[in-house]
Amino acid sequence: MNTVLNLWHDTGVYQVSGGELVMILVGFGLLFLAIRKGFEPLLLVPIGFGCILANIPGAGLALSAIENAAYAADPEVLAAIAQALGAGAVDSGNELLQLYADAGGGARYQVLQIAAQAGHSDGMLYTFYRVAIDSGVAPLVIFMGVGAMTDFGPLLANPKTLFLGAAAQFGIFATVLGAVGLSAAGLMDFSVADAAAIGIIGGADGPTAIYVSSLLAPELLGAIAVAAYSYMALVPMIQPPIMRALTTREERRITMTQMRRVSKREKITFPLVLLILVALFLPTAAPLLGMFCLGNLMRECGVVERLSDTTQNALINITTIFLGLAVGSKLAADKFLDPKTLGILCLGIVAFGIGTACGVLMAKLMNRFSKTPINPLIGSAGVSAVPMAARVSNKVGLEANPQNFLLMHAMGPNVAGVIGSAVAAGVMISMVSGM
Amino acid sequence: MQDPAVQETLLQQGVNLMLLGMGTVFVFLTLLVIAMTLMSAIVQRYFREPEPEVAAPGTGSTPTRSPAGDTQLLAVIKAAIDQHRGKK
Repeated sequence: MNTVLNLWHDTGVYQVSGGELVMILVGFGLLFLAIRKGFEPLLLVPIGFGCILANIPGAGLALSAIENAAYAADPEVLAAIAQALGAGAVDSGNELLQLYADAGGGARYQVLQIAAQAGHSDGMLYTFYRVAIDSGVAPLVIFMGVGAMTDFGPLLANPKTLFLGAAAQFGIFATVLGAVGLSAAGLMDFSVADAAAIGIIGGADGPTAIYVSSLLAPELLGAIAVAAYSYMALVPMIQPPIMRALTTREERRITMTQMRRVSKREKITFPLVLLILVALFLPTAAPLLGMFCLGNLMRECGVVERLSDTTQNALINITTIFLGLAVGSKLAADKFLDPKTLGILCLGIVAFGIGTACGVLMAKLMNRFSKTPINPLIGSAGVSAVPMAARVSNKVGLEANPQNFLLMHAMGPNVAGVIGSAVAAGVMISMVSGM
Repeated sequence: MQDPAVQETLLQQGVNLMLLGMGTVFVFLTLLVIAMTLMSAIVQRYFREPEPEVAAPGTGSTPTRSPAGDTQLLAVIKAAIDQHRGKK
Protein backbone atom coordinates (compact mmCIF):
# COMPACT_ATOMS: atom_id res chain seq x y z
CA MET A 1 0.00 0.00 0.00
CA ASN A 2 2.81 2.36 0.91
CA THR A 3 4.49 1.84 -2.48
CA VAL A 4 1.28 2.59 -4.33
CA LEU A 5 0.91 5.75 -2.29
CA ASN A 6 4.48 6.76 -3.12
CA LEU A 7 3.85 6.16 -6.80
CA TRP A 8 0.72 8.27 -6.62
CA HIS A 9 2.69 11.05 -4.88
CA ASP A 10 5.21 10.99 -7.72
CA THR A 11 2.66 11.53 -10.46
CA GLY A 12 2.19 14.89 -12.11
CA VAL A 13 -1.51 14.88 -11.32
CA TYR A 14 -0.80 14.77 -7.57
CA GLN A 15 1.97 17.35 -7.57
CA VAL A 16 0.74 19.91 -10.08
CA SER A 17 -0.06 23.40 -8.85
CA GLY A 18 -2.39 25.88 -10.50
CA GLY A 19 0.49 28.05 -11.68
CA GLU A 20 2.31 25.19 -13.32
CA LEU A 21 -0.85 24.10 -15.07
CA VAL A 22 -1.39 27.62 -16.45
CA MET A 23 2.25 27.82 -17.59
CA ILE A 24 1.98 24.48 -19.38
CA LEU A 25 -1.04 25.87 -21.17
CA VAL A 26 0.98 29.00 -22.02
CA GLY A 27 3.63 26.67 -23.49
CA PHE A 28 1.01 24.97 -25.63
CA GLY A 29 -0.23 28.41 -26.66
CA LEU A 30 3.28 29.37 -27.80
CA LEU A 31 3.57 26.12 -29.75
CA PHE A 32 0.21 26.86 -31.38
CA LEU A 33 1.36 30.36 -32.39
CA ALA A 34 4.60 28.94 -33.80
CA ILE A 35 3.22 25.93 -35.66
CA ARG A 36 -0.21 27.06 -36.74
CA LYS A 37 0.33 30.80 -37.14
CA GLY A 38 3.98 30.69 -38.21
CA PHE A 39 5.16 33.18 -35.54
CA GLU A 40 8.99 32.98 -35.54
CA PRO A 41 8.78 29.16 -35.39
CA LEU A 42 12.56 28.76 -35.13
CA LEU A 43 12.48 30.38 -31.72
CA LEU A 44 8.98 29.82 -30.43
CA VAL A 45 9.00 26.03 -30.91
CA PRO A 46 11.98 25.51 -28.55
CA ILE A 47 10.75 28.29 -26.21
CA GLY A 48 7.25 26.84 -26.00
CA PHE A 49 8.53 23.32 -25.48
CA GLY A 50 11.07 24.51 -22.94
CA CYS A 51 8.24 26.24 -21.10
CA ILE A 52 6.29 22.98 -20.89
CA LEU A 53 9.36 21.00 -19.77
CA ALA A 54 10.28 23.59 -17.15
CA ASN A 55 6.83 23.40 -15.58
CA ILE A 56 6.45 19.63 -15.38
CA PRO A 57 5.78 19.15 -11.69
CA GLY A 58 8.37 17.15 -9.80
CA ALA A 59 10.81 16.91 -12.72
CA GLY A 60 12.70 20.05 -11.68
CA LEU A 61 14.30 20.53 -15.10
CA ALA A 62 14.64 24.27 -14.67
CA LEU A 63 15.84 24.16 -11.05
CA SER A 64 19.31 24.09 -9.55
CA ALA A 65 20.49 21.17 -7.40
CA ILE A 66 19.81 23.00 -4.16
CA GLU A 67 16.33 24.04 -5.28
CA ASN A 68 15.60 20.46 -6.27
CA ALA A 69 16.76 19.27 -2.85
CA ALA A 70 14.65 21.88 -1.09
CA TYR A 71 11.49 21.06 -3.03
CA ALA A 72 11.95 17.30 -2.74
CA ALA A 73 11.69 18.00 0.99
CA ASP A 74 13.33 14.82 2.26
CA PRO A 75 13.42 15.59 6.01
CA GLU A 76 16.93 14.16 6.55
CA VAL A 77 18.45 16.13 3.68
CA LEU A 78 16.67 19.30 4.78
CA ALA A 79 17.98 18.87 8.30
CA ALA A 80 21.52 18.30 7.05
CA ILE A 81 21.37 21.39 4.86
CA ALA A 82 19.92 23.49 7.67
CA GLN A 83 22.77 22.35 9.90
CA ALA A 84 25.35 23.26 7.25
CA LEU A 85 23.79 26.71 7.03
CA GLY A 86 24.01 27.05 10.77
CA ALA A 87 20.26 27.18 11.29
CA GLY A 88 18.09 25.12 13.60
CA ALA A 89 14.99 23.31 12.45
CA VAL A 90 13.64 24.58 9.17
CA ASP A 91 10.10 23.70 8.23
CA SER A 92 9.86 24.63 4.57
CA GLY A 93 12.07 24.44 1.49
CA ASN A 94 11.50 28.09 0.66
CA GLU A 95 12.83 29.19 4.01
CA LEU A 96 15.91 27.08 3.38
CA LEU A 97 16.48 28.68 -0.01
CA GLN A 98 16.28 32.09 1.61
CA LEU A 99 18.96 31.05 4.11
CA TYR A 100 21.06 29.63 1.28
CA ALA A 101 20.85 32.90 -0.67
CA ASP A 102 22.20 34.77 2.36
CA ALA A 103 24.89 32.21 3.16
CA GLY A 104 28.63 32.65 2.59
CA GLY A 105 30.79 30.76 0.12
CA GLY A 106 31.94 27.99 2.46
CA ALA A 107 28.46 27.09 3.67
CA ARG A 108 27.17 27.12 0.11
CA TYR A 109 29.80 24.66 -0.96
CA GLN A 110 28.84 22.33 1.87
CA VAL A 111 25.16 22.57 0.97
CA LEU A 112 25.94 21.73 -2.66
CA GLN A 113 27.84 18.66 -1.52
CA ILE A 114 24.98 17.51 0.68
CA ALA A 115 22.53 17.99 -2.19
CA ALA A 116 24.81 16.07 -4.55
CA GLN A 117 25.21 13.20 -2.06
CA ALA A 118 21.44 13.00 -1.72
CA GLY A 119 21.27 12.52 -5.50
CA HIS A 120 20.04 15.97 -6.48
CA SER A 121 21.62 17.64 -9.50
CA ASP A 122 21.04 20.73 -11.61
CA GLY A 123 18.14 20.36 -14.02
CA MET A 124 18.96 20.12 -17.71
CA LEU A 125 17.26 23.39 -18.63
CA TYR A 126 18.90 25.11 -15.68
CA THR A 127 22.29 24.03 -17.02
CA PHE A 128 21.39 25.26 -20.51
CA TYR A 129 20.41 28.61 -19.05
CA ARG A 130 23.65 28.90 -17.07
CA VAL A 131 25.83 27.99 -20.04
CA ALA A 132 23.95 29.69 -22.87
CA ILE A 133 22.34 32.82 -21.49
CA ASP A 134 23.71 33.59 -18.04
CA SER A 135 27.19 33.68 -19.53
CA GLY A 136 25.96 35.82 -22.44
CA VAL A 137 27.38 33.35 -24.95
CA ALA A 138 24.30 32.30 -26.94
CA PRO A 139 22.98 35.75 -27.90
CA LEU A 140 26.50 36.78 -28.91
CA VAL A 141 27.06 33.70 -31.08
CA ILE A 142 23.70 34.35 -32.73
CA PHE A 143 24.74 37.93 -33.31
CA MET A 144 27.86 36.66 -35.06
CA GLY A 145 25.63 34.57 -37.31
CA VAL A 146 23.43 37.58 -38.01
CA GLY A 147 26.58 39.49 -38.97
CA ALA A 148 27.56 36.71 -41.33
CA MET A 149 24.13 36.89 -42.96
CA THR A 150 24.08 40.67 -43.33
CA ASP A 151 25.01 42.43 -46.54
CA PHE A 152 26.08 46.00 -45.85
CA GLY A 153 26.09 46.91 -49.54
CA PRO A 154 22.84 48.94 -49.46
CA LEU A 155 24.00 50.81 -46.36
CA LEU A 156 27.43 51.56 -47.83
CA ALA A 157 25.81 52.83 -51.01
CA ASN A 158 23.69 55.24 -49.00
CA PRO A 159 25.25 55.94 -45.57
CA LYS A 160 22.61 58.55 -44.73
CA THR A 161 20.13 55.78 -44.07
CA LEU A 162 21.99 55.15 -40.80
CA PHE A 163 20.04 58.12 -39.42
CA LEU A 164 16.82 56.23 -40.04
CA GLY A 165 18.19 53.35 -38.00
CA ALA A 166 19.08 55.83 -35.27
CA ALA A 167 15.68 57.53 -35.25
CA ALA A 168 13.82 54.23 -34.95
CA GLN A 169 15.71 53.55 -31.71
CA PHE A 170 13.67 56.31 -30.09
CA GLY A 171 11.07 53.62 -29.49
CA ILE A 172 13.50 51.98 -27.06
CA PHE A 173 14.11 55.08 -25.02
CA ALA A 174 10.51 56.28 -25.06
CA THR A 175 9.50 52.90 -23.64
CA VAL A 176 12.10 53.18 -20.88
CA LEU A 177 10.43 56.42 -19.91
CA GLY A 178 7.03 54.73 -20.13
CA ALA A 179 8.11 51.89 -17.85
CA VAL A 180 9.63 54.28 -15.34
CA GLY A 181 6.48 56.40 -15.55
CA LEU A 182 4.31 53.37 -14.77
CA SER A 183 6.30 52.61 -11.65
CA ALA A 184 6.36 56.27 -10.60
CA ALA A 185 2.56 56.26 -10.93
CA GLY A 186 2.50 53.23 -8.65
CA LEU A 187 0.94 50.92 -11.27
CA MET A 188 3.95 48.64 -11.69
CA ASP A 189 7.19 48.16 -9.86
CA PHE A 190 9.98 48.45 -12.42
CA SER A 191 13.47 49.60 -11.52
CA VAL A 192 15.54 51.60 -13.99
CA ALA A 193 17.39 48.41 -14.97
CA ASP A 194 14.07 46.64 -15.60
CA ALA A 195 12.85 49.59 -17.65
CA ALA A 196 15.99 49.57 -19.78
CA ALA A 197 15.66 45.85 -20.47
CA ILE A 198 11.98 46.23 -21.40
CA GLY A 199 12.75 49.14 -23.71
CA ILE A 200 15.15 47.04 -25.76
CA ILE A 201 12.13 45.07 -27.01
CA GLY A 202 11.56 48.14 -29.21
CA GLY A 203 14.88 47.37 -30.92
CA ALA A 204 13.08 44.42 -32.55
CA ASP A 205 16.19 42.36 -32.17
CA GLY A 206 15.83 39.09 -30.26
CA PRO A 207 19.47 38.37 -29.34
CA THR A 208 20.08 41.98 -28.27
CA ALA A 209 16.98 41.94 -26.06
CA ILE A 210 18.02 38.66 -24.44
CA TYR A 211 21.59 39.84 -23.93
CA VAL A 212 20.54 43.08 -22.26
CA SER A 213 17.91 41.50 -20.04
CA SER A 214 20.30 38.72 -18.97
CA LEU A 215 22.59 41.48 -17.71
CA LEU A 216 20.09 43.98 -16.33
CA ALA A 217 16.91 42.11 -15.43
CA PRO A 218 17.36 38.30 -15.48
CA GLU A 219 14.07 37.69 -13.67
CA LEU A 220 12.13 39.38 -16.50
CA LEU A 221 14.02 37.57 -19.25
CA GLY A 222 11.30 35.06 -20.07
CA ALA A 223 8.61 37.65 -20.60
CA ILE A 224 10.93 40.01 -22.48
CA ALA A 225 12.14 37.32 -24.88
CA VAL A 226 8.64 36.08 -25.57
CA ALA A 227 7.42 39.64 -26.17
CA ALA A 228 10.38 40.46 -28.44
CA TYR A 229 9.98 37.39 -30.64
CA SER A 230 6.18 37.54 -30.81
CA TYR A 231 6.19 41.18 -31.84
CA MET A 232 8.88 40.53 -34.44
CA ALA A 233 6.47 38.05 -35.98
CA LEU A 234 3.75 40.68 -35.83
CA VAL A 235 5.79 43.34 -37.68
CA PRO A 236 3.73 42.90 -40.90
CA MET A 237 0.60 43.66 -38.90
CA ILE A 238 1.83 46.37 -36.55
CA GLN A 239 3.77 48.53 -38.99
CA PRO A 240 1.60 49.17 -42.09
CA PRO A 241 -1.24 51.11 -40.37
CA ILE A 242 1.31 53.40 -38.71
CA MET A 243 3.18 53.86 -42.00
CA ARG A 244 0.00 54.71 -43.91
CA ALA A 245 -1.22 57.09 -41.23
CA LEU A 246 1.98 59.13 -41.29
CA THR A 247 2.51 59.40 -45.06
CA THR A 248 0.48 60.78 -47.95
CA ARG A 249 -0.16 58.75 -51.08
CA GLU A 250 2.22 60.99 -53.05
CA GLU A 251 5.02 60.35 -50.57
CA ARG A 252 4.51 56.62 -50.76
CA ARG A 253 4.80 56.78 -54.56
CA ILE A 254 8.26 58.36 -54.50
CA THR A 255 10.73 56.31 -56.49
CA MET A 256 14.31 56.31 -55.29
CA THR A 257 17.40 56.62 -57.44
CA GLN A 258 19.38 53.52 -58.37
CA MET A 259 22.10 52.72 -55.84
CA ARG A 260 25.77 52.78 -56.79
CA ARG A 261 27.78 49.60 -56.92
CA VAL A 262 29.76 48.95 -53.74
CA SER A 263 33.19 47.43 -54.15
CA LYS A 264 34.41 44.33 -52.35
CA ARG A 265 37.10 46.34 -50.59
CA GLU A 266 34.60 48.73 -49.09
CA LYS A 267 32.60 45.80 -47.77
CA ILE A 268 35.71 44.25 -46.22
CA THR A 269 36.81 47.53 -44.66
CA PHE A 270 33.40 48.39 -43.19
CA PRO A 271 33.32 45.91 -40.27
CA LEU A 272 36.84 46.97 -39.35
CA VAL A 273 35.88 50.65 -39.35
CA LEU A 274 32.86 49.88 -37.21
CA LEU A 275 34.99 47.84 -34.81
CA ILE A 276 37.48 50.68 -34.42
CA LEU A 277 34.71 53.17 -33.70
CA VAL A 278 33.18 50.84 -31.12
CA ALA A 279 36.56 50.34 -29.47
CA LEU A 280 37.14 54.09 -29.34
CA PHE A 281 33.76 55.37 -28.23
CA LEU A 282 31.47 52.64 -26.92
CA PRO A 283 33.34 49.67 -25.41
CA THR A 284 30.15 48.46 -23.66
CA ALA A 285 28.72 47.65 -27.09
CA ALA A 286 31.88 45.72 -27.96
CA PRO A 287 30.57 42.22 -27.13
CA LEU A 288 27.54 42.60 -29.41
CA LEU A 289 29.05 44.65 -32.21
CA GLY A 290 32.40 42.89 -32.00
CA MET A 291 30.83 39.51 -32.69
CA PHE A 292 28.66 41.12 -35.34
CA CYS A 293 31.71 42.59 -37.09
CA LEU A 294 33.56 39.28 -36.90
CA GLY A 295 30.64 37.49 -38.56
CA ASN A 296 30.42 40.12 -41.26
CA LEU A 297 34.16 40.11 -41.92
CA MET A 298 34.08 36.32 -42.33
CA ARG A 299 31.34 36.76 -44.88
CA GLU A 300 32.97 39.51 -46.90
CA CYS A 301 36.66 38.66 -46.80
CA GLY A 302 36.08 35.63 -48.99
CA VAL A 303 38.93 33.48 -47.64
CA VAL A 304 37.05 31.67 -44.87
CA GLU A 305 34.00 30.43 -46.75
CA ARG A 306 33.76 27.41 -44.46
CA LEU A 307 33.67 29.43 -41.27
CA SER A 308 31.18 31.85 -42.73
CA ASP A 309 28.98 28.99 -43.86
CA THR A 310 29.10 27.32 -40.44
CA THR A 311 28.40 30.57 -38.64
CA GLN A 312 25.31 31.42 -40.63
CA ASN A 313 23.88 27.91 -40.77
CA ALA A 314 24.95 25.12 -38.42
CA LEU A 315 26.24 27.22 -35.54
CA ILE A 316 23.34 29.65 -35.44
CA ASN A 317 20.85 26.77 -35.61
CA ILE A 318 22.47 24.85 -32.77
CA THR A 319 22.67 27.97 -30.65
CA THR A 320 19.04 28.79 -31.39
CA ILE A 321 17.92 25.44 -29.96
CA PHE A 322 19.80 25.99 -26.71
CA LEU A 323 18.77 29.63 -26.52
CA GLY A 324 15.11 28.75 -27.04
CA LEU A 325 15.13 26.01 -24.40
CA ALA A 326 16.98 28.23 -21.96
CA VAL A 327 14.48 31.05 -22.45
CA GLY A 328 11.69 28.49 -21.95
CA SER A 329 13.25 27.51 -18.63
CA LYS A 330 12.70 31.08 -17.45
CA LEU A 331 8.97 30.78 -18.01
CA ALA A 332 8.22 29.58 -14.50
CA ALA A 333 4.82 30.27 -13.00
CA ASP A 334 6.01 32.46 -10.11
CA LYS A 335 7.89 34.77 -12.49
CA PHE A 336 5.67 34.80 -15.57
CA LEU A 337 2.21 34.92 -13.98
CA ASP A 338 2.72 38.41 -12.68
CA PRO A 339 1.12 41.73 -13.60
CA LYS A 340 4.60 42.78 -14.73
CA THR A 341 4.34 40.43 -17.69
CA LEU A 342 1.21 42.20 -18.86
CA GLY A 343 3.04 45.51 -18.46
CA ILE A 344 5.97 44.20 -20.48
CA LEU A 345 3.72 42.98 -23.29
CA CYS A 346 1.91 46.35 -23.47
CA LEU A 347 5.11 48.41 -23.28
CA GLY A 348 6.74 46.21 -25.93
CA ILE A 349 4.09 46.91 -28.51
CA VAL A 350 4.21 50.63 -27.70
CA ALA A 351 7.98 50.51 -28.22
CA PHE A 352 7.48 48.95 -31.66
CA GLY A 353 4.89 51.54 -32.66
CA ILE A 354 6.94 54.52 -31.54
CA GLY A 355 10.07 53.16 -33.25
CA THR A 356 8.22 52.69 -36.52
CA ALA A 357 6.66 56.15 -36.33
CA CYS A 358 9.98 57.86 -35.58
CA GLY A 359 11.69 56.09 -38.46
CA VAL A 360 9.00 57.20 -40.89
CA LEU A 361 9.02 60.79 -39.59
CA MET A 362 12.82 60.94 -39.82
CA ALA A 363 12.63 59.73 -43.42
CA LYS A 364 10.08 62.44 -44.21
CA LEU A 365 12.40 65.03 -42.70
CA MET A 366 15.37 63.72 -44.68
CA ASN A 367 13.31 63.72 -47.87
CA ARG A 368 12.65 67.43 -47.29
CA PHE A 369 16.34 68.30 -47.18
CA SER A 370 17.99 65.62 -49.28
CA LYS A 371 19.10 66.14 -52.87
CA THR A 372 18.00 62.66 -53.89
CA PRO A 373 14.42 61.67 -53.10
CA ILE A 374 13.81 59.40 -50.10
CA ASN A 375 10.61 57.43 -49.79
CA PRO A 376 9.42 57.80 -46.17
CA LEU A 377 8.32 54.18 -46.16
CA ILE A 378 11.90 52.96 -45.85
CA GLY A 379 12.12 54.73 -42.47
CA SER A 380 10.00 52.09 -40.77
CA ALA A 381 12.65 49.49 -41.63
CA GLY A 382 14.92 51.27 -39.14
CA VAL A 383 13.55 49.05 -36.36
CA SER A 384 15.91 46.15 -37.27
CA ALA A 385 13.73 42.97 -37.52
CA VAL A 386 15.80 41.97 -40.57
CA PRO A 387 14.51 41.34 -43.21
CA MET A 388 10.85 41.42 -42.25
CA ALA A 389 10.66 45.19 -41.78
CA ALA A 390 12.30 45.85 -45.17
CA ARG A 391 9.80 43.53 -46.83
CA VAL A 392 6.96 45.42 -45.19
CA SER A 393 8.33 48.71 -46.58
CA ASN A 394 8.52 47.13 -50.01
CA LYS A 395 4.99 45.77 -49.81
CA VAL A 396 3.39 49.04 -48.68
CA GLY A 397 5.36 50.85 -51.40
CA LEU A 398 4.09 48.46 -54.06
CA GLU A 399 0.50 49.11 -52.97
CA ALA A 400 0.92 52.79 -53.80
CA ASN A 401 3.01 52.32 -56.93
CA PRO A 402 3.24 48.83 -58.45
CA GLN A 403 6.48 49.74 -60.26
CA ASN A 404 8.29 50.89 -57.16
CA PHE A 405 10.55 48.29 -55.58
CA LEU A 406 11.88 49.61 -52.28
CA LEU A 407 13.33 46.37 -50.92
CA MET A 408 17.02 47.12 -51.53
CA HIS A 409 16.60 50.74 -50.41
CA ALA A 410 14.91 49.56 -47.23
CA MET A 411 17.71 47.08 -46.48
CA GLY A 412 20.00 50.07 -45.72
CA PRO A 413 17.96 51.38 -42.77
CA ASN A 414 17.16 47.80 -41.83
CA VAL A 415 20.77 46.81 -41.16
CA ALA A 416 21.37 50.29 -39.73
CA GLY A 417 18.67 49.38 -37.22
CA VAL A 418 20.67 46.33 -36.12
CA ILE A 419 23.70 48.52 -35.46
CA GLY A 420 21.48 51.16 -33.86
CA SER A 421 19.87 48.76 -31.39
CA ALA A 422 23.23 47.24 -30.49
CA VAL A 423 24.56 50.75 -29.83
CA ALA A 424 21.46 51.56 -27.79
CA ALA A 425 22.01 48.33 -25.83
CA GLY A 426 25.61 49.34 -25.11
CA VAL A 427 24.51 52.79 -23.93
CA MET A 428 21.84 51.26 -21.68
CA ILE A 429 24.26 48.79 -20.12
CA SER A 430 26.90 51.41 -19.41
CA MET A 431 24.43 54.02 -18.10
CA VAL A 432 22.33 51.71 -15.95
CA SER A 433 25.28 49.96 -14.38
CA GLY A 434 26.72 53.41 -13.59
CA MET A 435 23.53 54.57 -11.83
CA MET B 1 3.75 53.03 -2.31
CA GLN B 2 7.01 54.94 -2.62
CA ASP B 3 7.81 58.32 -1.22
CA PRO B 4 7.72 61.24 -3.68
CA ALA B 5 11.48 61.84 -3.59
CA VAL B 6 12.21 58.31 -4.82
CA GLN B 7 9.61 58.64 -7.57
CA GLU B 8 11.15 61.92 -8.63
CA THR B 9 14.61 60.43 -8.96
CA LEU B 10 13.28 57.37 -10.79
CA LEU B 11 11.55 59.57 -13.37
CA GLN B 12 14.61 61.78 -13.49
CA GLN B 13 16.77 58.76 -14.20
CA GLY B 14 14.37 57.69 -16.93
CA VAL B 15 14.51 61.11 -18.60
CA ASN B 16 18.29 61.18 -18.29
CA LEU B 17 18.54 57.73 -19.79
CA MET B 18 16.34 58.76 -22.71
CA LEU B 19 18.08 62.04 -23.53
CA LEU B 20 21.64 60.82 -23.04
CA GLY B 21 20.93 57.45 -24.65
CA MET B 22 19.27 58.87 -27.73
CA GLY B 23 22.00 61.50 -27.96
CA THR B 24 24.74 58.88 -27.80
CA VAL B 25 23.05 56.74 -30.45
CA PHE B 26 22.80 59.72 -32.80
CA VAL B 27 26.34 60.92 -32.15
CA PHE B 28 27.78 57.43 -32.63
CA LEU B 29 25.87 56.79 -35.83
CA THR B 30 26.80 60.25 -37.15
CA LEU B 31 30.44 59.37 -36.54
CA LEU B 32 29.83 56.09 -38.34
CA VAL B 33 28.30 57.92 -41.32
CA ILE B 34 31.34 60.21 -41.49
CA ALA B 35 33.74 57.28 -41.14
CA MET B 36 31.90 55.29 -43.81
CA THR B 37 31.79 58.17 -46.28
CA LEU B 38 35.50 58.81 -45.72
CA MET B 39 36.36 55.14 -46.02
CA SER B 40 34.36 54.78 -49.22
CA ALA B 41 36.00 57.88 -50.70
CA ILE B 42 39.48 56.64 -49.83
CA VAL B 43 38.87 53.14 -51.12
CA GLN B 44 37.34 54.44 -54.34
CA ARG B 45 40.09 56.96 -54.93
CA TYR B 46 43.30 55.18 -53.91
CA PHE B 47 42.50 51.50 -53.98
CA ARG B 48 40.35 51.40 -57.02
CA GLU B 49 42.88 50.38 -59.69
CA PRO B 50 43.14 46.66 -59.02
CA GLU B 51 39.37 46.42 -58.76
CA PRO B 52 38.62 46.62 -62.54
CA GLU B 53 41.56 44.26 -63.18
CA VAL B 54 40.01 41.72 -60.86
CA ALA B 55 36.63 42.40 -62.36
CA ALA B 56 37.91 42.51 -65.96
CA PRO B 57 38.63 38.80 -66.43
CA GLY B 58 35.21 38.06 -64.95
CA THR B 59 33.35 40.44 -67.21
CA GLY B 60 35.70 39.66 -70.11
CA SER B 61 35.17 35.95 -69.93
CA THR B 62 31.39 36.06 -69.77
CA PRO B 63 30.87 37.88 -73.11
CA THR B 64 33.33 35.56 -74.87
CA ARG B 65 31.65 32.58 -73.40
CA SER B 66 28.12 33.76 -73.97
CA PRO B 67 28.38 34.29 -77.77
CA ALA B 68 29.94 30.87 -77.98
CA GLY B 69 27.06 29.51 -75.97
CA ASP B 70 24.68 31.50 -78.09
CA THR B 71 25.99 30.16 -81.41
CA GLN B 72 25.88 26.66 -80.05
CA LEU B 73 22.37 27.22 -78.74
CA LEU B 74 21.34 28.79 -82.06
CA ALA B 75 22.67 25.79 -83.95
CA VAL B 76 20.77 23.41 -81.71
CA ILE B 77 17.55 25.41 -82.06
CA LYS B 78 18.03 25.63 -85.83
CA ALA B 79 18.58 21.90 -86.09
CA ALA B 80 15.51 21.24 -83.99
CA ILE B 81 13.38 23.52 -86.15
CA ASP B 82 14.74 21.95 -89.31
CA GLN B 83 14.00 18.50 -87.99
CA HIS B 84 10.52 19.58 -86.99
CA ARG B 85 9.84 21.07 -90.42
CA GLY B 86 11.48 18.10 -92.14
CA LYS B 87 9.07 15.78 -90.39
CA LYS B 88 6.18 17.77 -91.74
